[in-house]
Amino acid sequence: MALQTSGRRMLLGLVSQSCHHVRGKHHKQALTNAGVQKKRMNLFSKEAERQAALVTDVEKIEVQYQGQPEDCTLIMNKNISTPYNCAQHITQMIMDRSVLAEVDGQVWDMHRPLEDNCSLRFLHFKQSDPYYANKAFWRSASVMLGAVLESTFKDNIYVELCSYPSPNVRTGSFVYDVDLKIPTWTPTKEELRTLSGEMVKLAMAGHRFQRLEVDASLALKMFEDNHYKTLQIPHIAAQSSTGNTVVLYQIGNFLEISRGPMIANTNFLGKVSVMAVHPIQTNQGQLFRIQGVALPKGIMLNHFTYGILEKRAAELNAGRIPVINKDNLQPTKAAEALST
Amino acid sequence: MSLLSVTRSILYGGKNNLQKIEVINLLLQQNTSVLTGGTGGGATTRNMSRMKKTRPFWQPKSTRTLYPEELTPSNEAFGSEVISDQHTSSSTTSPLKCEPWPRGVWSEASMRCGVIARKIGVYPMWDNNGRRLLTTLLEVPDNEVVKYIPPEKLLEHTHPKKNNNTHTKEMAALVVGADPIDPRLVTKEYYGVFADSGLLPKKKLTKFLITPDAKLPPGTPLYASHYRPGQYVDVLGTTIDRGFQGVMKRWLFKGMPATHGVTKSHRRPGNIGSGGEKARVLPGQKMPGHMGNKKRILRGLKIWRVNTKYNVMWVQGPAIPGATGSYVYVYDSWYHHCRHTPDNPPPFPTFFQDEEEGVEEEMYHPDLHVFSKPSIAFNEK
Repeated sequence: MALQTSGRRMLLGLVSQSCHHVRGKHHKQALTNAGVQKKRMNLFSKEAERQAALVTDVEKIEVQYQGQPEDCTLIMNKNISTPYNCAQHITQMIMDRSVLAEVDGQVWDMHRPLEDNCSLRFLHFKQSDPYYANKAFWRSASVMLGAVLESTFKDNIYVELCSYPSPNVRTGSFVYDVDLKIPTWTPTKEELRTLSGEMVKLAMAGHRFQRLEVDASLALKMFEDNHYKTLQIPHIAAQSSTGNTVVLYQIGNFLEISRGPMIANTNFLGKVSVMAVHPIQTNQGQLFRIQGVALPKGIMLNHFTYGILEKRAAELNAGRIPVINKDNLQPTKAAEALST
Repeated sequence: MSLLSVTRSILYGGKNNLQKIEVINLLLQQNTSVLTGGTGGGATTRNMSRMKKTRPFWQPKSTRTLYPEELTPSNEAFGSEVISDQHTSSSTTSPLKCEPWPRGVWSEASMRCGVIARKIGVYPMWDNNGRRLLTTLLEVPDNEVVKYIPPEKLLEHTHPKKNNNTHTKEMAALVVGADPIDPRLVTKEYYGVFADSGLLPKKKLTKFLITPDAKLPPGTPLYASHYRPGQYVDVLGTTIDRGFQGVMKRWLFKGMPATHGVTKSHRRPGNIGSGGEKARVLPGQKMPGHMGNKKRILRGLKIWRVNTKYNVMWVQGPAIPGATGSYVYVYDSWYHHCRHTPDNPPPFPTFFQDEEEGVEEEMYHPDLHVFSKPSIAFNEK
């Protein structure tokens, strides 16, 4: 009878409230970006310590430095010394302006330990052809935007970062695609200004882009709360030289997976404006494409000409829209192959 | 020593108006320290008379430190292209003039805005009786109305009057600008003043007090044809900076003879005391000092000629304050005998030259002898 079935349903309802499923639901409701970041950083710092402890003997390597003020040979420590340490032996100017290193012709992060005897050059923004520095800057700006997005929203909104397309300066803006789990968001001028302010704060904090190569299984454990990253990690790991490692970059409390080299420090970011938020449709729902434009520190530009750049950055970026699919998800890798 | 003699010497001493007010205030408070020349009064007076530059509320800081931007020539050219694209024929095609503002009707109590002009030279003219007169040429370069300040907003930024006179007119203001400047050279705040009206930033800005019926929408151009021959204007300019000058040039003292035993006192002021009971140098004693670089208004100047093609007007006299090339502000004359009458009202709120067809290029005063016109007529017998 109707009363009996409704009573049974009510009973089932009461039972389900004490179910494990609901406990899991409570756990998901408690998921915050701050909590997730803390968990990731714990795992990261433990791994970083473990990897540092693996280097027991201090072996010496010869680094052939070529550049200003004069070519020289530096005797550095294998797997401990970084190009930044080499710069510290040269001059203050080289230390301050160097954004990337070129080790044996290959672009290298400033804070990545040197592995063997090599030749070393430094790259900066004001050289005649700053192609690699420019690329790294644009890439780093995307990562910093991701860092800001993960920490600027209210606690009740769990932000899941999806990915960013390979850096292409010609599109006019750097981009991060993010899942905010809200249907619409047209940010006001004040909100965009707040985001830009957060970028500036991150730049002024002067965090180093610390690189670490970790095993894919550890990376999966760290990013288990982000289902986009969880789908990306196996593919990224498969493309790596060892076959199952993933490169992580740390800025303060934020961690990001990326292959390409990053700039040395967040304080290389000068003028920055977050210009627009465009909703984009992927095969698995809606994401928000957050766009911005920035200039490296030291590049001075009047407000009018910078305004032209800002207006351009507000237009929808033509970068690749991520394909979220268990079989074929390679947003970062495929796009990077396209961009050379 | 009387109160009157003290105040008169200060008032005619040629010092700052603020000092005048300071004295009057202190006298009202019956503070005797000023009259006896006490140190408190002296220090305050000195601070009050120091020229302080405060910017008006409608004008943010315009200049910024220019730094080398190291842009490629093609990038700089692109910037210039964007500027010219944004501001092609700004005077006639302002994007914000969607709703036309109602144009007021002139009455005797109306006050219309003035123009910013540039003094470009002095030239002689002859009237029909053959009398020679000197006129100053004032060019009106790219004047445009930048902002309208309604009476309520103006009142917010006006110092409250001591006597609440209920018969004072309700006044509004128009901010007018002249001579466009590259937007890349000015500050962002200054550029923002012009963003609403879609104008290029201007080198010179000023506020003209108007009655609300004379209001004009931002972007309206003002030409020399705002004024007509026969009208009278007041011209405000900054006098030429003559630096530190002696009493003969500064105060027109007579000096002393060059010969006949005069010892080392040919251009000196001579005696500076009043003698007797006062036993001191009175405040306001004329002495050598800095001369010039002051705002002065010359009133009741007649306009003899207006050229609408080059936007120039010929104004009575050679003595407009300022050097050639300097900016002056031109207003409708305030003198009662020079004001507009109902028989010949001025173009109100301004002369909309772009809307009129067949505007004369040259407008002459009827009393003026025009050299280009035939002067002798031969009658056929």
